[in-house]
Amino acid sequence: MKRKEIVRVENLKKYFKIKKGLFGRFKKGEQQYIHAVDDISFSIGEKEVLGFIGESGCGKSTMSRTLLRLLEPTSGSIIFNGEDLLALDSKNLRKHRRYMQMIFQDPFGSLNPRRTVSDTLRQTVRIHKLAATIAEEDILIKEAMEEVELLPVEEYWDKYPALLSGGQQQRVSIGRVIILRPKFVIADEPVSMLDVSVRIGVLKLLEKIKEKFSISFIYITHDLSTARYVCDRIAIMYLGKIVEIGPTEEILSNPVHPYTQALIAAVPEIDPTVKIKNVPIKGYVPVVPGESSNCRFYPRCPYADEQCSDGTPALRKIGTDHYVSCFKR
Amino acid sequence: MAILEIKDLKVHYLTKEGPALAVDSINFSVKENKTVGLIGESGCGKTTTARAIMKFVKEPGKIMGGEIIFKGRDILTMSDKELRTLRGAELTIVRQEAQNALNPVMTIGDQIAEVIREHEHIDKRTAWERAENQLDLVGISHHRAKSFPHELSGGMRQRGMIAIATACNPDFIIMDEPITGLDVIVQRQLLTLINDLREKLNLTALFIAHDLSVISETCDDVVVMYAGKIMEKADVVSLYKHPLHPYTQALINSYPSIRGEKKNLVSIPGSPPRLVSPPKGCRFHPRCSFAIDRCREEAPEIREVDGHSVACHIVK
Ligand SMILES: Nc1ncnc2c1ncn2[C@@H]1O[C@H](COP(=O)(O)OP(=O)(O)OP(=O)(O)O)[C@@H](O)[C@H]1O
Ligand SMILES: Nc1ncnc2c1ncn2[C@@H]1O[C@H](COP(=O)(O)OP(=O)(O)OP(=O)(O)O)[C@@H](O)[C@H]1O
Ligand SMILES: [Mg+2]
Ligand SMILES: [Mg+2]
Repeated sequence: MKRKEIVRVENLKKYFKIKKGLFGRFKKGEQQYIHAVDDISFSIGEKEVLGFIGESGCGKSTMSRTLLRLLEPTSGSIIFNGEDLLALDSKNLRKHRRYMQMIFQDPFGSLNPRRTVSDTLRQTVRIHKLAATIAEEDILIKEAMEEVELLPVEEYWDKYPALLSGGQQQRVSIGRVIILRPKFVIADEPVSMLDVSVRIGVLKLLEKIKEKFSISFIYITHDLSTARYVCDRIAIMYLGKIVEIGPTEEILSNPVHPYTQALIAAVPEIDPTVKIKNVPIKGYVPVVPGESSNCRFYPRCPYADEQCSDGTPALRKIGTDHYVSCFKR
Repeated sequence: MAILEIKDLKVHYLTKEGPALAVDSINFSVKENKTVGLIGESGCGKTTTARAIMKFVKEPGKIMGGEIIFKGRDILTMSDKELRTLRGAELTIVRQEAQNALNPVMTIGDQIAEVIREHEHIDKRTAWERAENQLDLVGISHHRAKSFPHELSGGMRQRGMIAIATACNPDFIIMDEPITGLDVIVQRQLLTLINDLREKLNLTALFIAHDLSVISETCDDVVVMYAGKIMEKADVVSLYKHPLHPYTQALINSYPSIRGEKKNLVSIPGSPPRLVSPPKGCRFHPRCSFAIDRCREEAPEIREVDGHSVACHIVK
């Protein structure tokens, strides 16, 4: 099935200047950069969920914030609904912003503790001037609460976040987003702080609103097992680059990049009679992903040889919609 | 033989709204060379149980009753002096969020050596050598002994905490969520380390987690806790293959697995009760799809069924 393209990202880069003294001294005049997002390209179709999976520091949050232009990219292009976001002036950007929203990891931290559920939602309604009268506001708020299943509405209307469970708090955050009828939502680890037992309820809610309001999603996580239940495709990220991208079940059953293999093998297994084959990868994610003339995974890769120190491998097609960047595969 | 026996333990937190029954009459034991997993949702009382075993419960918490028999003696009646020689040597804990609990102005090597010297009368040099050995044991090279905590990654700091906790050859170690909050690959490396140490050091341990898979990979037996009460106890294979309690079943059915067929997941409706006003009867009944009138009225006692201990009226 060919979907209508909603988001297209081309050669996106976001480099941060390294402050002098932080990582030792540089030679005179030599400015170094952290390549947090380094030449990333992908597209997302209507109602599609694309997962971005990778370890801490690989650039997931930086990419999200750059996509929503909360951070200015170093270079590249971001096309949203046919429009080049980077070419928009601030007035036009504001118009688009309403349709591009974000859900964060820490539900409690992203809610104002002194606002009740209805006040939180009302504030969004007011900022975006969605209603003319208080009665109209109330209707929108009630609809949003029903949508995110904070039921019965009267019971949650005047509740403060501290009295809600993590799952309920996250539902308020989601309500605040869908009240705006966005077309594109980035969910950055939306369930990682919730108990396993309630995660799936929140994920099913995301699935429901995706279908109902035709939303395209980016789902960011380091947990492949929840990604399996939400994502149509997943992109594996390592140090600012996509190293493998493809349909979810294809990636899980036929992972090609050694890093993808390691990520999959790392997920703990619930069946105590199943023993997992470990993929031995060495060391830790380096702290500063700067310039490099070899494959970025080279220092940790169990299969690396001389060839791998020879430039950066490009993403190559190896199956239907399945791409990998590795010299050895 | 059981090294640790917890009998009818009760711990309350005195809050403005009244006492919260965080640990409410629980019983379990840990046999020598076994690892017992304690699992349950956030706030069910896992850390409180761990603290009680160390007799570390602080205001507004209070141990209201019970016994904690460690190698034949009740920890709850020990003097402070007895506790000091016990803690850190025979009985140790890797606390939740331990990676942030290292002393920032002391090298990792010194921190390990200090613990050893607190409990054993040996000179500085020998203690330092032992510290270096410990670092090698947990997979941080002894070359890093002079590193300060901020120079180590989160995973390495957690290894450091495990090095401290195992430095004096403890008879019993508690690990409270030792891999939570770390990256998947670092988690895997730590699970491998913990299983290696279990074998190498013949550890007897209580392993706390909120994720059943982590327990499945590290434990022999499992204790399932919900809202301050124990719901089910069994060996790890039997618990996973034949869970009896509806709560255990629900935990398993909500778990998104990455391997094998993609099964349909069911989340547990609602959320755990507030412990100042737990529901009458079985504490799980408001979220249980099998609940009958009896469950709403009468708290179930723990019974033995098919080799499990289970607290549920509807289990036959
Ligand atoms: N404002 C900034 N200034 C300098 N460096 C930054 C800044 N923000 C992020 N970085 C660096 O960019 C890299 C990517 O960070 P980012 O937060 O995007 O990673 P992440 O994948 O979201 O990690 P996590 O899983 O921990 O949230 C890291 O090396 C980080 O230290
Ligand atoms: N200092 C405190 N004051 C009041 N209540 C407390 C205090 N510490 C814990 N509690 C309550 O006791 C209960 C048990 O807390 P505990 O930390 O033992 O849970 P846990 O199972 O370890 O949870 P988690 O998985 O989040 O670590 C919780 O409901 C909590 O609200
Ligand atoms: Mg992030
Ligand atoms: Mg805890």
